[in-house]
Amino acid sequence: MDELLADFVAETREMLEQSGSELVAWEADPSDKKRIDTIFRFVHTVKGNCGFFDFPQLEKLSHAAEDALAECRAGRREPDSALVTAVLAIIDRISEMTDAIEAGEELGTGNDEALIAALDADAEVEVQSDVAIIEEEIEVAAVSAPANDTQAEAAPKAPAKGVQRSIRLPVDLLDEVMKGVSDMVLARNDLARRLREAGEQPAIDGPFERLSAILADVRTSITRMRMQRLEHLFSSLPRLVRDLSNELGKQVMVDFEGSEVELDREMIEMVRDPLTHIIRNAIDHGIETPAERLRNDKREIGLLKFAARQSGNQISLVITDDGNGINVERVCEKAIANGLYSRSEIDKMSDKQRENLIFEPGLSTAEKVSSVSGRGVGMDVVRSNIERVGGSIEVSSKPGEGTSFHLQLPLTLSIIAALTVGSGDQRYAIPRSYVEEIVFGNSSHVEFAQAGDRRLVTFRDKRVPCLSLGEVMGSETNAECDWTSKTLILVRLASDDVFALAVDRVFDHEDVVVKPIAPAIMETKLYAGTTLLDDGRPMMLIDLPSIAQMRGMVGGVRTKPTIADKSEKVEKSRAVPVMLFAGLDGRHRAVRLELVRRIDTISRDAIDIEGDRAQAVIDGEIMTLAGHDTGPLPDGRCRLLRLSDGEHELVYAVKEVLDAADVTEDVVPSEADTAIEGVTLIGGKPIPLLDGHAVFSRYRATKKVEHTLTCRIPEGSEWARTILEPLVQAVGYRIAGDDDEVEADLAIALAEEGEVLTTGAREVIRLRPEPEDAGDDTIYRYDRDGLLAALKRIRTGRAA
Amino acid sequence: MNELLLMCTIAGRRAAIPAIEVQSVIEVDNITPIPGTPDFILGLTALRSQALTVIDCALAIGLEKACTSRDQRAAVVDIDGHLYALLVEEAHDVGEAKSEPVAVPGGFGEGWQRAARGMVETDGGPTLLVDIGQLVSGPLRQAA
Repeated sequence: MDELLADFVAETREMLEQSGSELVAWEADPSDKKRIDTIFRFVHTVKGNCGFFDFPQLEKLSHAAEDALAECRAGRREPDSALVTAVLAIIDRISEMTDAIEAGEELGTGNDEALIAALDADAEVEVQSDVAIIEEEIEVAAVSAPANDTQAEAAPKAPAKGVQRSIRLPVDLLDEVMKGVSDMVLARNDLARRLREAGEQPAIDGPFERLSAILADVRTSITRMRMQRLEHLFSSLPRLVRDLSNELGKQVMVDFEGSEVELDREMIEMVRDPLTHIIRNAIDHGIETPAERLRNDKREIGLLKFAARQSGNQISLVITDDGNGINVERVCEKAIANGLYSRSEIDKMSDKQRENLIFEPGLSTAEKVSSVSGRGVGMDVVRSNIERVGGSIEVSSKPGEGTSFHLQLPLTLSIIAALTVGSGDQRYAIPRSYVEEIVFGNSSHVEFAQAGDRRLVTFRDKRVPCLSLGEVMGSETNAECDWTSKTLILVRLASDDVFALAVDRVFDHEDVVVKPIAPAIMETKLYAGTTLLDDGRPMMLIDLPSIAQMRGMVGGVRTKPTIADKSEKVEKSRAVPVMLFAGLDGRHRAVRLELVRRIDTISRDAIDIEGDRAQAVIDGEIMTLAGHDTGPLPDGRCRLLRLSDGEHELVYAVKEVLDAADVTEDVVPSEADTAIEGVTLIGGKPIPLLDGHAVFSRYRATKKVEHTLTCRIPEGSEWARTILEPLVQAVGYRIAGDDDEVEADLAIALAEEGEVLTTGAREVIRLRPEPEDAGDDTIYRYDRDGLLAALKRIRTGRAA
Repeated sequence: MNELLLMCTIAGRRAAIPAIEVQSVIEVDNITPIPGTPDFILGLTALRSQALTVIDCALAIGLEKACTSRDQRAAVVDIDGHLYALLVEEAHDVGEAKSEPVAVPGGFGEGWQRAARGMVETDGGPTLLVDIGQLVSGPLRQAA
């Protein structure tokens, strides 16, 4: 079954269970407003979900119930026991349909019309419900709807057999397991550090490696257990948007960003519903009809944009439309008309507060009630759902330009990809999802400018405001900040605002386990969490959106994407991103960006070159060095590109890292220079493109065969020991000794000695003393090529 | 009800923390400072792969001088799921409360009045029972 559908069934069933007790209470007191609200929300949600799955019957039922309940909520109708019975019958029918959906059966027509008719205020229809109640619900149903139960003709049937083998676990339990695993990872890191300090201990290192590997696997699967990519949620939206916009006669396209962001499964379920509501509202109220849009000088197709970012234990999700914005005046009028606030209260409110009035219960600005929205439940349900999971929602809007909803969702426990940076004497982690690019302040193409006291950096023809992390953290003032010695991190926030964060050093990127921090630290609004470094020291995770907010780096609603933007994007994706650098000889070259894992800066002392061998020591690891032969190494500090082919890494010495660029022109191959893939044009200049394949094939140390093959050679033969043995060893075999009990991979026998010693080996090579071909498969003992070929054939066959 | 108390010295005064709240007493060696936080938060320290927020009890009470101690003893407490290390001048034994915490006419003096739940009699004489919830929120929030 479609996973989405399974989710829908599970969700509906869960809500049915929850509403069970509400139903009982409602029956006892039909005028209880609170109960009506809860049941109303239930049918409303079912209706909403049906819209996206195309279950017209279910939608019809829930819509009818919603209508009746809306009347009660609005006070136009007094709920009585007849209504209660009718609604209960519908809810039971929904439960029955849910079962049918799960089992993949036809929904059956039933007597839906009669059920709907029973809702009618004047109807005196006696409800003839032939509802089948699933086992778990008998208790609830028996109490809540005795009328139904006694009249039910069908015997309760067993719950439909689950199509999918799955269990539902309390999230608390998962949380606990996840926390345990995270702690285990940290404990492992701690142990790893202690083992490193204690030096090599083969007896312990082996099992420890195994433990680490197992732990890594467990961690991955636990994470997977809880996490889902947002993509999962996003993938269902285009269809929903399409259907809604068709229904409402509007044209809307959707744009997604950050679908790779992972979110708790639970959280995805929580967001799905509010998101649906927001989309409905945006299309219904926000985005104008094509004709209206053209009149307002907009493209006739509206844009709905979703952008997600992860930051510490928060996910921020921004939903932006380029519609008409919120009509604050009308919202206020409505709030007053509905008696939510008095005129004087509204007058005292800030603009922001007025905009946020749309989250008040019982408020709707739509001119007419459509089947899509306009009942005034949407946004209050949205807010209560989001707040229930500890998140927050805000809205900002510009008349005529659009509306954006900012959702902040918590992530109590998470592992995020972070960049570790240094500022002052401290290390901090920055969520990598925000990092757009990293540039050195002293690069030739970075220009600083000043406007008032604000430092600006001109990069790629854009002026970007700068913020020094040292200044934010209070370790230095802007005046004493030496901008050119800094490394600039270009940060792009979920709201699309860009600024440059200046740090002293960028160390590495790593996956960190983020833990929540104490409220008193949270109050600084500088940090989103804490994490432990491998050596056990704590490190703070920086809350970039909050810092940007405090420093006024956030500009509010942005709705500028145009056609030009789109076509540019398409072009970009075809281009190959490369990194431009100056080699040690000063010549400019480029390397494919995918190959570059990071940029290291080390001192000249850490490089050791002797003849053909060149190595560099980085963070206690010896790495193969390439690129050093193009020119003299600089004195002092050397900049190295760390290249990776996925398995192996080597470092490439460069004089300076220049820029990132996109190769859009053809790469013209060069026969003369095998170290390059070819020459291409970047910014009108010919730039040689480094051939990653050539670099790795030239410098990569030959990978050791995991399993050394053993070979038995004739004992007691001086020729075998002195001549044969070194040859066999050179090819990579280990000579099996007398005490080797195990079967050797190969045995070499001398033909003149007959059948001796050929047992206990999987393959046998026979050597004959005479050069003449004896007609059997023996090899002449001095036929070096033949012998080597045979050894190689067996070796590759074995190792494979 | 004879409550067990961890006896300690804060700013030269005899104080006590309910022993049931204290998970352990540790010697804090490495503290990673956190810029931007109020004075009384000294930073973070790691204990068995968990990060603890280190609180200087004297500053948290609102006194001007920070804790001075040779062995940097701290009581580890869990408040609302967050772990704190309460740095005290000296940490002594666990003792028994001989009375309910009571207020003293005239108060305990500025700072102490806010941070103390009252005075209890112990074997060592009258001791101030510290309210750890107040300690971790610090003097600033109280003033606000």
